[in-house]
Amino acid sequence: MLDSSQIRMQRAAGRAEVAIAARGGRNALCRLHQSGSAKAFLPKVHTPVPEVVFLNTSGGVTGGDRIGYRLEVGAGAQVIATTQTAERAYQSSADVGEVTVELSVGEGGVLEWLPQETILFDHSAMTRRTTVDLAAGARFLMVETVVLGRAAMGEVIEDLAFFDLRQIRREGRPVLVEPLQIDAAALGLRDHPAVFGGAVAMSTLAYVAEEAEDVLARIGSLPESDEVAIAASAWEGRCVLRFLAGDAWPLRRALADVLNRIRGRALPRVWQM
Amino acid sequence: MNADLLKLTQWLSPAFPVGGFAYSHGLEQAIDAGHLRDADSLRSWLLALLRLGAGRVDAALIGQAMAGRDEAELSDLARALAASRERLEETCAQGAAFARTVSALLPHPVAEAPLPVAVGCAARQLSLPAAQVAALYLHAFTANLVSAGVRFIPLGQTEGQQVLAALHGEIDAVAQDAVTRDPLSFGSAVPGADMAAMWHETMDVRLFKS
Repeated sequence: MLDSSQIRMQRAAGRAEVAIAARGGRNALCRLHQSGSAKAFLPKVHTPVPEVVFLNTSGGVTGGDRIGYRLEVGAGAQVIATTQTAERAYQSSADVGEVTVELSVGEGGVLEWLPQETILFDHSAMTRRTTVDLAAGARFLMVETVVLGRAAMGEVIEDLAFFDLRQIRREGRPVLVEPLQIDAAALGLRDHPAVFGGAVAMSTLAYVAEEAEDVLARIGSLPESDEVAIAASAWEGRCVLRFLAGDAWPLRRALADVLNRIRGRALPRVWQM
Repeated sequence: MNADLLKLTQWLSPAFPVGGFAYSHGLEQAIDAGHLRDADSLRSWLLALLRLGAGRVDAALIGQAMAGRDEAELSDLARALAASRERLEETCAQGAAFARTVSALLPHPVAEAPLPVAVGCAARQLSLPAAQVAALYLHAFTANLVSAGVRFIPLGQTEGQQVLAALHGEIDAVAQDAVTRDPLSFGSAVPGADMAAMWHETMDVRLFKS
């Protein structure tokens, strides 16, 4: 007997949770939970700051999938987190695939959330909610990149439904909220300069910390080119950069350049080019 | 009802001292970059802002404020949604000026808050449908940017009014659709306009504050 609950079981579900705490001057793994198609691992690194790598083993997100990642960074701890591969939102027949990312940073902790890009395929339907909870004095750096279709394959997107809600709170109060919605309405105006201006790859880089406004000076002149447009602004403990590009590769290069200037240390291996 | 409509019209008129003429929502940079050269490109830019940008988010904030959602919580959210430094100033400075002036006209004072939240909170003291308040708010927002376009593209006054009239349908549709929704139930898709607002900060010659 094939009923809808059995069809649902074929959908991917997974949850990966990691908690890292500062113990005796070290950043120690204190919890690792994995279920279903979500995995998390900590590759060997030769620096005191651990790297957490999340992975969706189902290879992408399609309608009905439920993927959850959670990372807790304890007070005073420092963590770099990324994803093993680009996340792919595949064609969905009906349901929406849901990805939940919950990040928290304790007092004085530092988290760098540097996932690889999310590639949206034609007729995909995905909702992602990224929620970041910062305690007093915590610092948080984030990059999110979204690519419309596989440009290298000449794919042109006809329609899709992508909702990407990024919320950063400090002590429970929202400090930076960026809801990105790409749907038929946005695609209808995609070439308009107020919308994507014909770009197929877009990134937001955000740094939230007391000294965030000083970061603009550290970056210096933005590595803009004919291929990548970059704009920056900083205010009240926030520094935000936005990128638009006609192709994912030069965007990745420009992002790596800016991240290197901000961070002054090597990017996670998955980022190295 | 007419008395309340007249109040709202007064609050949202360009003569109400919120200083809206000083803010271009990034339009000044977009004009400078050559994206806005005529009536048609002004109309389509504003359409994108209404349909995919601040338009629908502000309408949702007004709806929530009128529905009685906690003002401090909504203010925090409205501030966190600002796309850049000048866009935060644009909504906060106008909202503070609006609250000060409107408080002198109403039985109950209105707390300083980002403009759509302050307007929505003030409108609790009127008996008007939220969709109407949101539509008039978006009309004022659009008219202010049309006026900036008329002065700096430049366009003829009549052409500017034609642009505004051509957006009435969109203004009404956005207000109707968004005013009952949670501001976080949909998103924005105007990175180009947000980036124009960011680049505005470093323009050599600027007449507007945003």
